[in-house]
Amino acid sequence: MSQIEITFIQPDGEEKTVTVEPGFTLMEAALFNGVDGIQGLCGGVCSCATCHIALDADVLAKIAEATDGEAEMLELLDDHVATSRLGCQISASETLNGARIRIIGTLA
Amino acid sequence: MSSSAPLTGAGINIAGQDQIYDPYEYKLHDNPYPVYKRLRDDYPLFYNKRHDFYAISRYDDCMAALRNFRIFVNKYSTTLEKEIIPGVLPFILMLDPPDHTRLRHLLVNQFRPQNVAPLEDIVRKMARKLLAPHAHAGKIDIIQDFAAKLPMAIICQLMGVREEDEDMLRGWTDDIVHRDDGVSETTEINETGTRNLLGYFELMIQARLKTGEFGEDLVGQLMTFEKEGKLNHAEVLGYLFLITIGGNETTTKLIGNFSWQLWHAKDECARVIADRSLAAAAVEETLRIDGPTQMQARTTSEDFEMYGHVIPAGSKVAVILTSGNRDERHYTDPDRFMIDRHSRDHLGFGAGLHSCLGAALARMEGRIALEEMLDIMPHWEVVEANSHRMHSAYVRGYTHLPLIFTPRSQS
Repeated sequence: MSQIEITFIQPDGEEKTVTVEPGFTLMEAALFNGVDGIQGLCGGVCSCATCHIALDADVLAKIAEATDGEAEMLELLDDHVATSRLGCQISASETLNGARIRIIGTLA
Repeated sequence: MSSSAPLTGAGINIAGQDQIYDPYEYKLHDNPYPVYKRLRDDYPLFYNKRHDFYAISRYDDCMAALRNFRIFVNKYSTTLEKEIIPGVLPFILMLDPPDHTRLRHLLVNQFRPQNVAPLEDIVRKMARKLLAPHAHAGKIDIIQDFAAKLPMAIICQLMGVREEDEDMLRGWTDDIVHRDDGVSETTEINETGTRNLLGYFELMIQARLKTGEFGEDLVGQLMTFEKEGKLNHAEVLGYLFLITIGGNETTTKLIGNFSWQLWHAKDECARVIADRSLAAAAVEETLRIDGPTQMQARTTSEDFEMYGHVIPAGSKVAVILTSGNRDERHYTDPDRFMIDRHSRDHLGFGAGLHSCLGAALARMEGRIALEEMLDIMPHWEVVEANSHRMHSAYVRGYTHLPLIFTPRSQS
């Protein structure tokens, strides 16, 4: 499979489009490409929420649902929205090619 | 990267620095924190002439280096030594993306908090079993009698190692991390420990290959990944090496360090005694203020400028995590142990892509250890005169930490 193209949108509207290999997480896609606002403090074990993002509803519907652990973590966040997810729990795949990802910017 | 630096102009005068930081010197290990403070204030970019490495100590600088995996790379090991221990095989701490990512993804799921949570009963039962013989004695060496055994027992169980072999494995891991006073070079004992540990796992794997039954434990899972072509054999052994060391050493030291911190911060300890639900927060604050992993090294992949000084490509850089954790520029009153601090951004487990894979397990083991300790001893006194420190450039903690207490049964 070819590289997946993802556009990250900062809270102030600034956009950055990056490419990532399939299988890498959205948190890693951001870190590999120097996208601000994604800290990835825990290294991807679903325990810090510093890769908090929001997806478009139609994209969200197409990917695997959040596990209980991820859902619990999201509920604890004051700034979570209906389409919130943790970037470290979503693998880049063809489904996400061209997706536009909003960065919430949750800090630890 | 160095925006918080008050130093301007021609840049930092590396040549004129007092040589205040030598992580191999035993005398530093008793209390390194005043030295770290001086580094942060006076030498935010420090150069150690004798061992030829740089050191960074402010929170923002440590965090930036940990996140900047393209320039601060891991592939030349996360130690300051130029030589790695002969015989050590590749493991994720010594790899960079994309190899690091490929390997880490294979086991990341097993170490997520929700997948670690079902182990709670096993950890608690083991903690009780280890503490029970001391419950009425009024004294315990919390390292030798408890903390050195609990994490190893758990990780051995996860790997499928026989209970009777646990002490042997722990001995080898101690050999691997041992350094003599002031000596940075690896020694014969490090090499022997490495050979013994890897040899043990090789025999274990061969025995399972013979029967064709790999099992469901971590060894079995890694063997299956090898069979599926996701890992090569060296990577399987490298993973087992990392899990054994990582699952043992630092969690042991964490338990010792919170035993000391809570004894020292008596008011905060009283709160945990009164409200057991604060145990997790007490463990978290210990990870910040006195985390076992003091420092990890990176190597610069290209020239990099900090504080007006160019760190040449190929330099070793010590990232002093617990100095970042006590940085006044980031935390208020950083030398004070405060259970209510709830700092989740501390560097106790590192940060970024190489952040500790076993963090959730370590947090749980630490919390349960504290809860169970409180069950047999409502409070304790540390017998400092009889305590002994481990001497390592990287890990801070005790090898012996005697506690005396009035047994709960008599109080």
